[in-house]
Amino acid sequence: MRYKPWPKYRTLGAVGALAVIVLAAGCSSSSSSSGGSTASAAAASKNFKVCMGTGGQQGLDWEIGQGEVLQSIAKQEGWQSVILSNDNSASTAVSNVGVFVQDHCNVVVEFNGQPSANPVMALKLAAAKIPAITYDIGQKGWYFVGIDNLKAGTEAGEAFGQWMKQHWNCDPDAVVASQGYGAGIVNTERTGGMVTGVLEACPNIPKSKIFNINGNGQVSTTLPLARALLAAHNSWKKIAVVGINDSGVVGVLQAAQQLGRFADAYGWGQDGSLITGSNVNPHLLGSVLYFLEGYAEVALPVIKSIEAGHPLPVRDNTNGNNPTEQVTPCPVTAAQAQQVPDFNTDVQKVEAAPPGTTEYSLLCPNK
Amino acid sequence: MRAVLSASRSTEGSETSRRNAIGALLNSPIGSIAITLVLIVLIGLFWIGTSFLTGSNLNIVSTSIAVPLLLATCSAFALLAGVVDLSIGASAGLNATIFAALVLHHWNPWSAALIVACIGIVIGIVNSVVIVRLGAVSIAATLGTLSVLSGLQFVANGTAGSVTVLVPGLYHFANTSVGPMPLVVVLLVVLVVVAVYVVTSTRLGRHIRAVGGDERAATRAGISVSKVRVGSLILSGLGGALAGVLYIGQLGGATNTLGSDVVFLVYAGVMIGGYSIIRGGVGNPAGGAMGLLVIAGVTDIIAVKSINTYYTDVIVGALLLLAVFFDRIRGGDAYE
Amino acid sequence: MRQSQFARYRQTSTSAGTVADPADQTVPGLAKEARVLPEGVATAGILLVVWILLVAVSAIDKANFLSRETLLSVTFTMAVLGVLTVGESLVTISGGVLDLSIPTALILPAWVMATLLVDGINVWLTILVGLLVGIAWGGFNAAIIVFGKLNPIIVTLGTNFAGFAILGIYVQNAVIPVHSGLATFGKGYSLFGLPNVFWLMVVVVALAGYLLPRTRLGRRTIAVGGNPQAAKMRGISLRKTRFGVFMTAGLMAGIAAVLFAASQQTFVSADGTNYLFLAIAATLVAGISLSGGSGHLWVTFLSVGLLSTIPTSLAFFGVPTLWQTVPAGVILVLAVGLDGYRRLRSAR
Repeated sequence: MRYKPWPKYRTLGAVGALAVIVLAAGCSSSSSSSGGSTASAAAASKNFKVCMGTGGQQGLDWEIGQGEVLQSIAKQEGWQSVILSNDNSASTAVSNVGVFVQDHCNVVVEFNGQPSANPVMALKLAAAKIPAITYDIGQKGWYFVGIDNLKAGTEAGEAFGQWMKQHWNCDPDAVVASQGYGAGIVNTERTGGMVTGVLEACPNIPKSKIFNINGNGQVSTTLPLARALLAAHNSWKKIAVVGINDSGVVGVLQAAQQLGRFADAYGWGQDGSLITGSNVNPHLLGSVLYFLEGYAEVALPVIKSIEAGHPLPVRDNTNGNNPTEQVTPCPVTAAQAQQVPDFNTDVQKVEAAPPGTTEYSLLCPNK
Repeated sequence: MRAVLSASRSTEGSETSRRNAIGALLNSPIGSIAITLVLIVLIGLFWIGTSFLTGSNLNIVSTSIAVPLLLATCSAFALLAGVVDLSIGASAGLNATIFAALVLHHWNPWSAALIVACIGIVIGIVNSVVIVRLGAVSIAATLGTLSVLSGLQFVANGTAGSVTVLVPGLYHFANTSVGPMPLVVVLLVVLVVVAVYVVTSTRLGRHIRAVGGDERAATRAGISVSKVRVGSLILSGLGGALAGVLYIGQLGGATNTLGSDVVFLVYAGVMIGGYSIIRGGVGNPAGGAMGLLVIAGVTDIIAVKSINTYYTDVIVGALLLLAVFFDRIRGGDAYE
Repeated sequence: MRQSQFARYRQTSTSAGTVADPADQTVPGLAKEARVLPEGVATAGILLVVWILLVAVSAIDKANFLSRETLLSVTFTMAVLGVLTVGESLVTISGGVLDLSIPTALILPAWVMATLLVDGINVWLTILVGLLVGIAWGGFNAAIIVFGKLNPIIVTLGTNFAGFAILGIYVQNAVIPVHSGLATFGKGYSLFGLPNVFWLMVVVVALAGYLLPRTRLGRRTIAVGGNPQAAKMRGISLRKTRFGVFMTAGLMAGIAAVLFAASQQTFVSADGTNYLFLAIAATLVAGISLSGGSGHLWVTFLSVGLLSTIPTSLAFFGVPTLWQTVPAGVILVLAVGLDGYRRLRSAR
């Protein structure tokens, strides 16, 4: 074995560099991060810890917002809070549950974008006797707070269907559904619900006119697939677009534009991420605002009851029991959406309002 | 006279040789990754306190390391032989999906695992045909198999996007602990020890290192390069399949993107631990395991401090660059 | 020494599974080979035939495949991918194996441009800044490679890890203002009714392919990729060449970012990862060897075209979109298998 003399300063330099990197990352980020249990522990007066695993999907600012709003509520209530990102990964979500158990959280809130891991997480939390609240994705034993995705989808679909009745005499050439298969039941209810709603308003549309693409809820992945689909059917003149979210729908609308057929395509979205602000696609007719980032306000009464020592009520939205409407969806047309401020202002407003004020009550233009 | 002289020289010699040996150990890849690991532990203790080393936290760290460690140990032989297998993550994800689907359709979990193991071996065979038989560059070829497998994974997960199944025996196996450590990790540590023994002390290990270090010299020495590489690729494929089964035990389900992020983590980890993806013949399974531990430790510190987890990747990237830098200083190939 | 267009600096046989080690050279000088049928032409021929076959089969099955819309569908995909592939190919030809930092290299300039446009900065200035950001990223990679003397594939793996994570923190939904010049450019068509972004890509690929063997940097890139030690002995500055290559690749990423932002207009940071695999696949399928020193940039036009036509063909055949990624992977495996087989055969 060769032994090359290693100058001491290089060792020191290495150790120093490593230490500097790690400490710098830690110090700079704990002051600006959305977590920081030390910070909240200092301000917390009560011995109650709220923990959350946020979705962690890149590009979805409301997933970060969900953590921020919970954290601000916790601060106002004097609770400790631990906010971790599930990184849109099943293994991270499971690992985070381990951290929550170790941290002795009093209640865990989950938004798990990879819900196939939820049963395992539920087992672990149940073994540790920690009650859990879940946003939008039902899990047996967890308290469900969220939109009734199916109802939101169907309402949006019906509104779109009414528009089609008016403008196209209920006779589109195709209904393109921009699916997001990775989202599981949420996709089936939202996108499937929209198709159902459209068919309810326009019962004469045959199933053969419904085309599915796996847009994955993002513009970049939807675009090439939608281009290919539209090119394969260049006789379509009236194209109705539904999807799991605004991005999936806008992707199809943009594809139509690139093929020179923008005039033929109209869409209705969900989640409201691309319907507010000044850059709205002119053919995005409407969407459904969930005010996802403000869910914590809706969950607050349950969290408070847990703090008071009451057991978690059974409301897990499985088997269709207790269909929940705790978060009221706010369907809007594009015109109505203009009255809603942008995302960051929304978060500021809801954090400034007294805890328990829902964003729906604050911001929905057509309550 | 000469006997006295030689005797004194030999005592002197053994002292300097002992110092040399310690110095060599510290300077070797094993030494520097061990130093890095100690550093991480110290940082964890400093920042988090003694709870960093409690059984529960060690459990969290080791659970998160289980699948990467299994993949790394099985694929490290291929790396040693000079072949990079990038398809391991997609193989794990696809096999997890197939295993879950089979069990969901009332297959016996053991039979399902056997089927999936066979699929893993087939994947290894396909890889070896393209790389060894057809002479393709391994990074490119396994990139191709990766995309085929992940595409099939998408299809297998269908419109639901995931397959959920809780297999009670498997779940308990994946979650029981022996003291503070999960049973799975204890078994994997045994696997790593076996791997270290094979690599350092057996003829097979020498052959593998020879093939990876200098292919032509190995051929001249009578070692069958293709046999070594085919064998290591098949092992790598089998590792992917077993990792898929382990995933189901840990996570209770498979998704259409499961395993997509684990490849880079595995290779970053083993490179931090002394392997190289551009030259074979270097690396020790223990070093690879420690490299993964370093990453897991960093991830855990960041999670427990609830810092933005994106910083984990920033640190891992920096660590990777530092590790290869020191490998280069130690006498590895300099890239001109 | 004048080099003819088809002479390349060839490595002696590369080992099957690894990148060739320069120390392996049994011939310390340059091995100039003028071949009767240069390999590049053979690869180009194969690609062209496969592409035409694909189009033909699709057209036979569905008559309206040969329409302007199909062409539009394909050319929009080709635009961003084509420019990115040029950058990736340059890195590979220079002996850098692969540039794995494409996701960051694409999204960083695009995000900067989106932010500037939303703030109302002039379009041309924004584009200039975007290109400079791309070049800066390339220079950053080059600095680590040159001063650390580390292999580019590992360096770009590390920088992308870190850079992409940082982008994830700051980039949410980035939107190009609907009425900005960039968006109008991205939506518009010109020659033959094909998109602006496509023609810009054609110009970039044509220029790059033309300039590679004719500029000093280009010739040095090929020399360094083929045999760095020999190039160094001839007095070529490896450092300067590396910086040149990576900053040019960064410029390509910047141009690609302009096309990307212009044609897609709404993006998130995760969009970058989709392009990495395709750019690498297009580079390899174009016959550009991972050991460096050989490859013709114009052939990437064919490989990008083939890879971009596949999704459209699949849609015409009615294949469910879940199967989308499989064919590209199969083609990649076949292409590298074929390439390896040819090398094995010629080495015997």
